[in-house]
Amino acid sequence: MLRAATILTALCVAAPASAHKLKVFATAIGADISGYGYFAPGGRAQDSDVTVTTDGKVVATLRTSSEGEFAFTAKSRTDHIFSVDAGDGHVATYRIAADELPETLGAGGVAQTPLAGTQQRPQILPLGPTPMSAAEIRAMVEQGVAHQLRPLREQIDAWQEKLWLHDILGGIGYIVGLAGLAFWLSANRKLKSAGPAIREARR
Amino acid sequence: MAHIPDGVLSAPVLAAGMAVTLGGCALGLRKLDHDKIPQTAVLSSVFFVASLVHFPVGPTSVHLILNGLVGVALGWAAFPAILVALLLQAVLFGFGGLVVLGVNAMNMAIPALLSYALFAAFARGGNRKLALLGAGLAGGLGVMLTAIMVAGSLALSGKEFDAAAKLTLFAHLPVMAIEAAFTVAAVGLLLRVKPEFLGIAAPEGSYA
Repeated sequence: MLRAATILTALCVAAPASAHKLKVFATAIGADISGYGYFAPGGRAQDSDVTVTTDGKVVATLRTSSEGEFAFTAKSRTDHIFSVDAGDGHVATYRIAADELPETLGAGGVAQTPLAGTQQRPQILPLGPTPMSAAEIRAMVEQGVAHQLRPLREQIDAWQEKLWLHDILGGIGYIVGLAGLAFWLSANRKLKSAGPAIREARR
Repeated sequence: MAHIPDGVLSAPVLAAGMAVTLGGCALGLRKLDHDKIPQTAVLSSVFFVASLVHFPVGPTSVHLILNGLVGVALGWAAFPAILVALLLQAVLFGFGGLVVLGVNAMNMAIPALLSYALFAAFARGGNRKLALLGAGLAGGLGVMLTAIMVAGSLALSGKEFDAAAKLTLFAHLPVMAIEAAFTVAAVGLLLRVKPEFLGIAAPEGSYA
């Protein structure tokens, strides 16, 4: 039995995820949005279609990597909706709100002047001969904070799928309660059909 | 993959699933005998919890469905038992959507009924070995038919079932094997200690 199970498991090593629930996680660091599709108990959504929608229009279709990851550079400061379709009936979406994207992106669509030193971390602020404008510093701080917050947000997103013992026990409790209700209904029905006789007997 | 989320299927498929599930539940509840209520509740709970049992299959994990066992043990009462368990899974765990509840229940309960018919055909004679063989086949059949019905619901909604999805059928092979073994074990025990639980009329002392 164990050997058979091992062989079967080995046979299915290449199979994609087929768990209950697909989820999408994405964050914006600057205008660069990166994320991934994943299945709630484990596994990534590999080679899946991703559609990017803003204002109800599809702006891009991407495909996830073998790690389930995708990346997209926002061109406008609007809500971006990422929809991952795993192809087996699992679909999930994630919204990157306009607030998370840098203010330098125009709401209309055209990117404004790109920031100097976008790749740099805020820790190494160059206080050189040309002092940075307040907007530039703010943008860099925002990027740094987004970078630091990403693992935390990832954890919170995954945490939502954690199964709690009280959910499981609560579900079983509901079933027990429904069984009780069914008993009451069926007893009621029996009592009604055999009504007069039982009422006589009770007297 | 057995739990389809909301927003995937087309309206006619949703309506058909809803109608079939309502009809099946009405029939199941009508046929539900007073004495079978605790049994139905227990198997509904088993089905509810079974989906939490994950097996690692390669880089991912699959979970038990156990609709074959529920069908074998309950017959028509499998419909309401599965519907209730699926509703609770959707609400408490977020497995599957609420609008597609009818389709999901249909995709798991119809195979359960067919598993029941298969098992009943094998077990009718009172031969223990034959009954156990029927149980194993029924356990595997439940999972296989569910996978096929899920594929069918997607296809009817105009979603092509692409290559990745076809592989998920293979990922369910170990699930089928495990459920078949599980159903054989459960039915074997029941035949020994409480054959009337399975609702098959058999002469006293058979299945020994």
